[in-house]
Amino acid sequence: MKTAVRYLLLVVVSVWTLAPVAWMVSLSFKGPTEWYAPNLIPNQPIIDNYVSLFIPTNPIGGSFFFTSITEPITRPLINSLIAAGLGTLLAVMVGFLAAYGVSRYRAGGTFIIFFTLLTRMLPGATFVAPLMVFYASIGFIDTYAALILLYAAVTLTYAIWLMKGFIDEIPPEWEEAALLEGASPWTVLRKVTIPLTKGGLAASALFIFILNWSEFLFALVISVTEVTTLPVQISKYVSAVGRMYGTMASVGLVATIPSLLLGYMIQKHLVTGFTFGRIR
Amino acid sequence: MPKLVVRNLRKLFGTFEAVKNVSFQVEEKETLCLLGPSGCGKTTILRIIAGLEVPTSGEVLLDGVLVNDLPPQRRQIGLVFQDYAIFPHLSVFENIAYGLRVRKLSEAELTRKVRETASLVDVQSILDAPTKKLGLSEMQRVAIGRSLALDPKLLLLDEPLSNIDAKARERMRTELGKLQKDIGIATVYVTHDQLEAMTLADRIAVMRDGLIEQMGTTSEIYDNPKTLFVANFIGSPSMNLIDCELVYNREEAVLKFGDLALDVTELTQRIEGKGEGRELVLGVRAEDLSLDAKKTNPVAIEAEVQLAEPVGAKSIYHLKMGGVSLLAKGYGMPNIDAGSKVWATFNIDKVHLFDKKTEHAIV
Amino acid sequence: MMKTTNRLTQWVGKTESFKKLSTLPLSLVLNFVLIVPFAIMIFLSFTRWEPLSGYDWWHAPIAGIPRFVEAFGDARLLWALIRTTIFVAVVLPVEFLLGLGMALLFLGDFRGKKGFTSVILYPMMMPWVVVGLGFYLMFQFFGPVNLLLLRPLLGEGAVIDWFTNPVLAFVVVIIADVWQWTPLMFLIIYAGLAAVPKRLIEAAEVLGASSVRILRTVRLPLIKSLVVVALIIRALEAFKVFDIVYIMTGGGPGVNSTEVISLYVYNLAIVYHNTSYACAVSLLIMIAIALVTRLAIRPLEVRAE
Repeated sequence: MKTAVRYLLLVVVSVWTLAPVAWMVSLSFKGPTEWYAPNLIPNQPIIDNYVSLFIPTNPIGGSFFFTSITEPITRPLINSLIAAGLGTLLAVMVGFLAAYGVSRYRAGGTFIIFFTLLTRMLPGATFVAPLMVFYASIGFIDTYAALILLYAAVTLTYAIWLMKGFIDEIPPEWEEAALLEGASPWTVLRKVTIPLTKGGLAASALFIFILNWSEFLFALVISVTEVTTLPVQISKYVSAVGRMYGTMASVGLVATIPSLLLGYMIQKHLVTGFTFGRIR
Repeated sequence: MPKLVVRNLRKLFGTFEAVKNVSFQVEEKETLCLLGPSGCGKTTILRIIAGLEVPTSGEVLLDGVLVNDLPPQRRQIGLVFQDYAIFPHLSVFENIAYGLRVRKLSEAELTRKVRETASLVDVQSILDAPTKKLGLSEMQRVAIGRSLALDPKLLLLDEPLSNIDAKARERMRTELGKLQKDIGIATVYVTHDQLEAMTLADRIAVMRDGLIEQMGTTSEIYDNPKTLFVANFIGSPSMNLIDCELVYNREEAVLKFGDLALDVTELTQRIEGKGEGRELVLGVRAEDLSLDAKKTNPVAIEAEVQLAEPVGAKSIYHLKMGGVSLLAKGYGMPNIDAGSKVWATFNIDKVHLFDKKTEHAIV
Repeated sequence: MMKTTNRLTQWVGKTESFKKLSTLPLSLVLNFVLIVPFAIMIFLSFTRWEPLSGYDWWHAPIAGIPRFVEAFGDARLLWALIRTTIFVAVVLPVEFLLGLGMALLFLGDFRGKKGFTSVILYPMMMPWVVVGLGFYLMFQFFGPVNLLLLRPLLGEGAVIDWFTNPVLAFVVVIIADVWQWTPLMFLIIYAGLAAVPKRLIEAAEVLGASSVRILRTVRLPLIKSLVVVALIIRALEAFKVFDIVYIMTGGGPGVNSTEVISLYVYNLAIVYHNTSYACAVSLLIMIAIALVTRLAIRPLEVRAE
């Protein structure tokens, strides 16, 4: 009896969880005539919604829907990849170094720690005004560098927090042994610590990448035409003329797939990191 | 009526048979000890009795009632875990009161009962203390008190002294013994320490690999071990076990081992001809070998002392006798140490003979 | 020249210098992204300046505190704060309770546990804008919520125009956030529950406690500190909500009926180009958050010892 109830509830929860994505999948394969219909399974499935993401056509799918989106998503896709990828790389490198310093050498005064925490506590929107002013004066608007630095800064707290957890799990004896043999801290890092924490590093990197991939506010503010990322482009689909439900669904799904894949890959590590690495 | 009856208990974990076929009874006010090495199934049996594990087959009866299907909450059994499992977020008072709160007693009634139990296990002075700062013996008493507060029908203790260092262990053993006498509740006690079992139990069940090898009172187990395993397990130091051969010389019976012969003609009746032609093992406890610096006894055998280990008033002598190593225990003899020669006499009455193959005792 | 590079390399290799160097990149990045803008923000909030003023910002005339005074009289700001607070106040308990429920549902072993867990967790991984998008699509007038849920259950006239009603639109935003972040609560609570030693549960069982009692008296108390931390983190993040609101309502219907604080500040800075005022408001908000967090952390610090 109890098991039956449990499975019933599990199914309910699963349906609730899957609903939005299921609907988006359904919409993305529907032609414009079916966009206002409640059927889950498209009666006449088409792939035009996906195709038009890369080769925008007006009108869509042989209908009379016109849209104001004229660019393919390849550029935003690549921009997202560059910004998220390099931003993650920067965050991981800087964060790992700092985490190591804090963990093993008690580096970092309260000032640094305070400010690092601040990046997570304060709304991004509160930085937008001065950031725009600053970046405009040094010509950073609409550049990759601006995004990469911002992404790294915003996710640094996570990077340090996660990686410190992984570093702390390595017994310091091995590093101390290497140090006693005359190696410099850098060599120790390179030859001892990094190989040992590779798994944790990878997991942290993937997690931060997912965060950066989703980032919206700063990309919205910084980008004009050159570095528009995928989330920003998606917002344009929503406000575009023509209510293109089908393409909205397809672009949303395309943007989600990398996140889901990476997230699946690090599920186990997600649990450890979020629970402060303290499951005993 | 016996308080607890365990019949043909069997427990499988996957393909591993932790408990093969175990049956025993525990009477009111009796303390039974399940003694055995790690992995012999004794803790599993305890958990089955408590209701935390379901037996693959077999029955558990409390006060004559079958309780197999009863969840642990309803069995009215007290269980003290090996690591005590004190609730860390509750005070000592609340720990002891935990089971009582389930019963919806009045606040006054509850407090009275808690204080009563607390003084029984001598923790009344720390009732308000947070549990994180307690020492091991205090924690154990709280754990016992917590179970006793509910006036359980049966008390189960899982290796209660194994966490404690040797020094404190002696003291705790005495305390536990006193507690058992005071309270007089039927108890099943699980341990791998034979000394504990010998001091605290009324009866002992020696277990190995999911089966009871021998069950009996302390003296029965000590004086008449039925198998090699029991003989070896009980007693400190372990019983001397020597491979030997029984040879009949007309009226005489002689045990040959190494290049020695031991006259055991007195035992011929008890042997009843069972030892003929089989490989035997001679068992003799260290304290049943008397040592003398001179050959005062005609049947004494010469031996060389390899090491003299003082253990308090007595000493354990490591002997080499006719190529065989033996341990003898006796009062410390001056001038006897490594290299000396002594004469050892076997106390034939206390000698045991085991069939090497079946491991069963013949004498 | 060689001498200096040698000494430099030597110095770099030493332990004390490592200590300082390890956080150097961190300081650099932070300085650039955080501290410099922060300084600019403080400066600008005392001035009166817009990008279209015609002069560079560092020439902006100092105007003292009028911007701050303006902020205290700003009704729209007040409403944004109220809305955001309501949002957090609703979202936190809902996510906690649902997360707790889900964690309890997953307690123990059962077939397919890994599969169900994967399904449950994925909302956290989706880009926030896509979450907004998904719910935007679902709650459309001709969407599945209306057509597949409400109409069959409550009859023909039960369809709702979600996004033209400020309260309902807000509700959809709340639902979207709950959908996305309940799994996080689930994860943290579940991990906490799983970390409760099995022995304690068994001890409680033998003492006669029912499952409910065990939950109340053993499990929940032992995960309290973990849960509090999780709630604080979630509260801070919830306060910052931006993406889903932007995508789903853009602040509307109307001008600002669902405007949360992040959106208001964004509008001030980017849409209305009211830069110095935006800086003043931002500064005030930062101070407020810092104060509130400090007050909230205080009792935790005391308890942690």
